[in-house]
Parts: sequence; structure tokens; C-alpha cells
Amino acid sequence: MPPRRSGSRLRLPSSPNGGAAPGAAPPFLLRLGLTIAALCAIDALALALAFSLAADGLLVPAALLLVVTTAVNWIFVSARAYPVRWLAPGLLLTLLLVVYPLVYTVYLSFTNYSDGHLLTKEQVVAQMERQRFAAESAADYAWRVYRSPDGSFTLWLTDAVGKSFLASGEMGLQAIAADDPRLGPVDPEDGLPRTIGESAKLSRLEAVRHLSELQHLSITAGDDTIRITSLDSAARERQKYTYDPIRDLLTDNETGTAYRPVEGTFTAADGATLSPGFAAVVGPRNFGRAFTDPQIRGPFLGVFAWTFAFAGLSVLLVFTVGLGLALVLNERRLPLRGIFRSLIIVPYAIPGFISALVWVGLLNPFYGPINLGLESLFGFSPPWFSDGTLAKVAILLVNTWLGYPYMLLVSLGALQSIPDELYEAAKIDGASKRQQFRFITLPLLLVSVAPLLIGAFAFNFNNFAVIDLVTEGGPPTPGTATPAGQTDILISYTYRLAFAGGRGSDYAFSAAVSILIFFIIAAITAFNFRFTRSLERVSENV
Amino acid sequence: MKKLLHLATLLVAVALFAAACGTGAAPSPTASPVATVPPSAAPSPTPEATPNASPEPSPTIVPLFSKEGTLTIWVDGGRVKIMQALGEQFTAKYGVPVVVQELGFGDVRDQLKIAGPANEGPDIIIGAHDWLGELVSNGLLAPLNLGAKAKSFDPVGLKALSYDGKLYGLPYLTEAIALYYNKDLVPNPPKTWKELKAIAQKLQDDKKVEQGYVLQQADPYHSYPIFSGFGGYIFGRDASGSYDATDLGLDSPGGIAAAKEIESMIKSGLLRADVNYEVMMTLFKEGKSAMFMTGPWALNDVRAAKVNYGVAKIPKMTEAARPFVGVQGFMVSAFGKNQLLAETFLTEYIATDETMQALYDAVPNAPAWLPLRAKVTDKDIAVFAQSAADGDPMPAIPQMSSVWEAWSKAITLIYQQQQPAEQAIKDAAETIRQQIAASQ
Repeated sequence: MPPRRSGSRLRLPSSPNGGAAPGAAPPFLLRLGLTIAALCAIDALALALAFSLAADGLLVPAALLLVVTTAVNWIFVSARAYPVRWLAPGLLLTLLLVVYPLVYTVYLSFTNYSDGHLLTKEQVVAQMERQRFAAESAADYAWRVYRSPDGSFTLWLTDAVGKSFLASGEMGLQAIAADDPRLGPVDPEDGLPRTIGESAKLSRLEAVRHLSELQHLSITAGDDTIRITSLDSAARERQKYTYDPIRDLLTDNETGTAYRPVEGTFTAADGATLSPGFAAVVGPRNFGRAFTDPQIRGPFLGVFAWTFAFAGLSVLLVFTVGLGLALVLNERRLPLRGIFRSLIIVPYAIPGFISALVWVGLLNPFYGPINLGLESLFGFSPPWFSDGTLAKVAILLVNTWLGYPYMLLVSLGALQSIPDELYEAAKIDGASKRQQFRFITLPLLLVSVAPLLIGAFAFNFNNFAVIDLVTEGGPPTPGTATPAGQTDILISYTYRLAFAGGRGSDYAFSAAVSILIFFIIAAITAFNFRFTRSLERVSENV
Repeated sequence: MKKLLHLATLLVAVALFAAACGTGAAPSPTASPVATVPPSAAPSPTPEATPNASPEPSPTIVPLFSKEGTLTIWVDGGRVKIMQALGEQFTAKYGVPVVVQELGFGDVRDQLKIAGPANEGPDIIIGAHDWLGELVSNGLLAPLNLGAKAKSFDPVGLKALSYDGKLYGLPYLTEAIALYYNKDLVPNPPKTWKELKAIAQKLQDDKKVEQGYVLQQADPYHSYPIFSGFGGYIFGRDASGSYDATDLGLDSPGGIAAAKEIESMIKSGLLRADVNYEVMMTLFKEGKSAMFMTGPWALNDVRAAKVNYGVAKIPKMTEAARPFVGVQGFMVSAFGKNQLLAETFLTEYIATDETMQALYDAVPNAPAWLPLRAKVTDKDIAVFAQSAADGDPMPAIPQMSSVWEAWSKAITLIYQQQQPAEQAIKDAAETIRQQIAASQ
């Protein structure tokens, strides 16, 4: 690669002391050196990570990592890929934070990943194979351990009738003869030898320190294995389940029953199942359930309508209040404008969670100041959270409070960008204030604000936080079997279905429902963009 | 000069980054200590469940996982200090390092469910017995063998921490609700429910209190004594004493009678809708109510309020009112790397008089360790212990999650008088039966 050419390509457009300055070459070399050093660092990191991923058996993520790293290298080395360089970080993050979760959600929706099916098949098989049962040769022993200088362990086992054995990984289980030459001098405290060959006896306390190693000790004795089961006992038992990966069968060695995996559960021919189950792909069943289960389908239309009403009314209210205040604040005749501006923006500075919770307190029919005030003034205390309609009003009220400062800020900015000449011209043409607002302010304002209104609509469409903090979806709908409350919107309803509907945590099902919601929102957004485009035409005409 | 400026900027950036990492890694304060929250159970408007349900940013720290040779214990904020102290003592004695990770009480369970599928987990957690159904059916807990120590534990506690015939926890405390009353307003605690209602009505009529008796609204956990007191039940028991999911008793004659009782108390003004845990506590602490029911977790709060309070057993209704009993205990994770060591830690070190005493001193509660229970002198705790001894263990079977939701909804509907009591409770029972049938 001819350095000069690529040097001119690599130069930052905004670089103030580019090729013209006498010191042009060193910065270029420096920059190239830095680029290569950074790439080397990134590559080293990526390689190390890929190796550790591969070592954990995660081959696909490791391969993906390598592909991405190669792409990064290419982008930074190739002159042709120069423009992509500025996009690359964004693209990477998009892959990681948007595309990957999306793909994973779609995958999840086709599985049965939910309570009772959280583990992988390998994990479940490993758990099953760890289980033991007592065969006819089973025995319980008291144990003491001897540790050799090289760190291997020998157990001194005493069975129920007082017969003693030596056992270790290498020699298996052996009965002890009294004159065994390996036995060292007897410790008067417990009557056991202090040493066996090279190995020295560990006290009970010392044994605790080595328990993490001792738990892996497995001594073969016939068909059985001897393992330490507690600080005082060891047991000779047999493996209960054996998994045959070729035939995909889990066999119970005690009864001979064979279990076959059926949709994430090991199931015997007679229908008996083993717990826990594992996550498995079960097909589009979750989507089917969303459409057929009466508990879910029943309230869907109502929830759907309220979601639209909630999002639409929220945007309308927020925009009206925000714009109204902006018009007032933009009025030059208003005294102390600066102070009012700061004051009105205050709700924006308070975290929404806190505001929402404060509102819940304010509206409490029992001790809330709003209700106490209403009661003393009008003798009327609205049950905000017990009545469906009032709960909806309360939600909209809180949401307007939370959202108007943003619209106020945006509108203030947009109002100031409208040139005064237009108003002067309108005045000369004899337009009233109202006409000025209707034909100049609003259309020009909407050009810049409309995309934000759509954004606000989409945001409120999924505004889980406000619903859950203010009413938790309540009040409940009487006479139905659904967990949907009267103020639940689609997303909070999904949450209730997936996590609170008496089904435990059903991740797979909630993934399916959120995909369905995604389609709904995508449709709305597409429609909205069309709508904005027509607004842009307005601006072209102005 | 310009370079210096750049350098300074860089330094600030690095410092900020380090600071951000620092706060990120530090164990952040989590939900309220267990001493102030009712048992994990109810996915209903109990104070514990509310923060859980809300999307508040729960601590996003990655909890510490088990490493071979180091015991990792996950506990809630209320018990972190005592467990750290105990861990240090254990390390001093046995030379095994112990790491204590603080998590919110409910987060312990949730994080365990996230860690397990990744082959990770702590060695030991402190949890509630009604998590068992969920945790065991997901293969997240390892069975436990207490050996000879088992007979020193309250059998109710051992039974509660068993699932499918296997023991999964070392019981440490049992808790149940009882009646708190204001001695200045109610010199003698009511013995019967009728008496309680008469006292409450009189106090209200005389305008001495705003609400003579308050009960947290729509909360199955706090309402269960009324259900059991009028002869209702949740699940019947099979021959072995385990809960039987096919026998739902919410709409049994007793259950309906209990629902109607709540309805009639609402209508006569003895109960009010829109009461939550905070309102219930505030009213009592300010002397605006004379009686309420909750568990020992409220003791410190009530004591601090300087109310002349007393604790009594829940009054008798048509039969003795039995509260739900929650049992908390130490459990061993199936994904810990030191299961043998963890079990030894529990049987050798936790199940001793000194440790149990230390745990009791840190969070006074009805101990499940029998030698210690005999020595408890706090008369309030004694009442709670008695209440727990006469209660029903909260069902831990997975089907219970269907019950909490629908039951809570029914009670809300009754409180808000949106539906007649009988209809509301029958609808709830129908919903639960459908869900149980669907999940089988």
C-alpha cells in the first residue's frame, strides 16, 4: 500500500494542520502506529475472549466474535472501507443490543422456556446422572481421610458392624488386615493409625478445608461408587440414571424404565415424567395460545382499545398543555418570564418514578391531600383506584404531568424558530391572533414537532412504568377469568400474563406476545411515517 | 498547553470511568430488610410484592458466584451483617473463606433462576419455604441431609422445607401474623371476632379512632386467618398431609362465609378499601386505629412509634383462626461448586446453639431451632411463635401461584364492592381450577 496515497485518504477532513503544514508526516505515522496498536490490542482481546468462549463450549458466539473482529480489522485497514469506519461502532452496538435480543426473542417464542424448563438438556442430564440409589450392595460408612504429600486422598471407612476398609481412587475398596505394613502407629485418641504409607491423617477440622476436593472423590466398588455424603458419613451407592446420547434415552438403573425426551421433559412410555424439565423448541404453539386461550383472547380487544386511547390521549394532552404553556411563556409581555420558565420545567427534573409515586399518594382516597381537599370543599371523594373510569382519568392525569415539560421545551424551541416576518405579514394582511395560530404557528410547529409526537405515541404505547406504578393495571375486571385489569395496556397485560397470571414465569409465551405487539407497533409506525411525510410537504409549500 | 488540556480531559474521563465502575461493583443497597417485610409469598399487594412487581431498577449488580474452595452466600440486607460476622468466625475456625453477597430478599430467588441456567450460583441462600415449588421444579436446589441434627428443629419447619419427600432447607425461623392492639384504646385484647368487631365499632362511633380495626386490603396473606377462621381452606390435604392441588377450598361453604364476612364488614364501615401496608402501619402508629394484623416484621416499627401496644393471638371466629406460617431457612444451590462443604457449613456451624442465638439476636423471630425456642423470653415473639405453631404452612406447591393472583383479585373486588362476595370468590375459584387444569 503506497503510504502517501492512503495517507491523504486517512487524513481527517477537519484536521487543522493537514498536509500543508511542514510536520505532516509524523502525525500520519503516529496515527497509523496508533491505529495498528489499537487494532492489535482489540485483536488480542478478541482472540483471548474467543478462546475462553470456545473452551466453555460456546462455539457459535466464539465464531461470531472472530467474524466481527475480522470485519473491524478490515474496516480499519482497507482504504475503501474508510467511510464505514465512522458507522462501525454504531453498527456493532446495534448488532449487540438490538439485533441479538431480537433474534433471541424470536427463538425464545418457539421454545418452552418457562418455569420448570429453565435448564438446558445437558444440565438436566448431568443432574440426573448425579443421582444415586441404594442397591442391594449398598452400605454406609464412617470415614476419616489421609492425605499424601502429593495431595491424593485415602479414606479409612468403617461400616455399621465396625469392619474397616481402605479406599482410594487408585486401589478401590480394600478390607484391612491388622498387620498391613502400610499402617503407621496407632493414635490413641480414635484408635486409627496416624499414617498410612506416605499419607497422614487429617483431623475432622482439617478435613473441612479439603471438602471441596473430597466431594469429587469417587471410588469404584463393583457396580457401585463410594462417595462422601457428609462430614461424618460416606455411602456406597449406584448411579440411578444413565443417559445414552446415541439413542437419546435416559434409563433408570433401579427400575429399568427408559425415559425419552418429549418437548423438554423426560417421559416414560407410561407417561411418567422426571423433574426438572429442560428448554426445548416446541414450535409455534405459543402464538397459537395467544389467539385461542379464552383467558387471553377475551380481554384483548378491550385492552387494545384502551392502549390506543391511552397513548393517543396522552400525546394529545401532553402536547396541548405543553404548547399552551409554551405560547404563554413565549409571549414577550409576560413579566418574569425566566422565573416562570424555570418553575414550569421543574417536573422534568424530578425522576418520573418519584413523581408517579407521589401522585399515587396524592390521589389516595383515604389520606391523599387531593381527596381530603375535594371532600372538604364538595363533600365528594372520588375512589380513584377502585373505579375503572376514574382510574383511567388518574392515569392520564399523572401521565400528562410527567410528559408536558418535554413538549413545552420542544414547542418553545420550535416557536422561536418561526420567523417574525411571517406574523408581521399576517398582521398586515389582517389576520387575527387565532388565524395566525391556525395558519402559521401550528403548521410550522408541527413540521418539527410531529416526529416527536409520533415518538411520544410509540413510547406511551409501551409505557409500562406509569401503568404499573400508578394503578398496577387495576382495578380488576369483575366477572372474568383474566388477570387483565381495567387500566392495563398491552405491554403491562403481557407482563401480567407472562409473570403474574398464575403460570410462574413464562418467558417463551411473553416472547411470543411481545412479537405480536411488535407487529402492531410496526404497523402504527409505518402509518405514522406516511402521515409525517404529508406534513413535510406542508413545509415545502411554506 | 493544548496537550495539557487534553491530558487533563483524559484523566477526568478515566477517573469518572473508574468511579462509575467502583459504584457499579459495590454492593448497592437493596430492598428493605426482611425484618420489615412479610414473607415472600404473596404476589399480591403486600409491601414486599409491590416493589417486586414495579419496574423499579432493582440492583443490577452481578452477584458473586460460587468458586471451588470458597463458600458464597446470598442473603438479604437485613441479615448481611450477621452473616458476614458468622462467616468470619467460620473462616477463622476452619480456614475456609466465606463471601456474603447482599441481594434483595426476592432477588435472591430471581437471581438464582437466572444464574442456574448459566451453570452458576451461590453455595447457600437464605430463602422462604414457599419458593421451594418454583426452585425445585427448576432443578435449582440440592437436597439436604441434616443427619442427627434434624431432631433439634421444629418439625413444622422441616416439613415446610421438604418438597416431594426430600428436605431442601435448614429451617431457621418461622413466622406468622398476630393481632397488634393499642392498650390505651383496647385494654383487653378481644377473644372472639364478634368482640373485635364490637370494640372497633364502638371506638369508631365514639370518634376515638378513624378506623377501629384495619386490615391490609386485597391481600390474601393477611386475609387468610378470616378464611380459615370461618372454615375455608385453600388446598385440602392428602393422606400424607401434603397439599392436594385437586381439592381447592376457596369457594367451599367456609370460604364463601369468609368472603361474605369481609363484605359485611366493608358495608358496615369496619373495613375500608384503599388501605395498604403503609396506611395500616401509619394509622396504628398515630393512634388512629386500635387494632390490626401483621407479623413480627412490624415489631421494630411499632416499638419505635411509642404506641402502648400489645400482641395477641388472632381472635376465634366460628373456629380457631389459623394464619399462614412462613418458614425461612438456609438452602443449598444445585449449581454451587462446594455442595459438600455447604452442607457441612450448615450442619456443623449454623445448626449450633451459638450461631442460632446470634441469628436470633440480629433479627428476633420465632426460632425453628428448638433449644433456642425454649429460651425465648420476649413475650411478643412468644405470641408470634404460638400463632405460627397453630397456623397452616403456606402451600409451596407450584399451583399456589395461580391462587395468589385470582384470590387477590377476588378480595379486591369485594373490598371495592364491584361484585357480590359469593360471586367474586366463585369466579376466582373457577379461574384457579382452569389454570391448574391447563398447566397439567
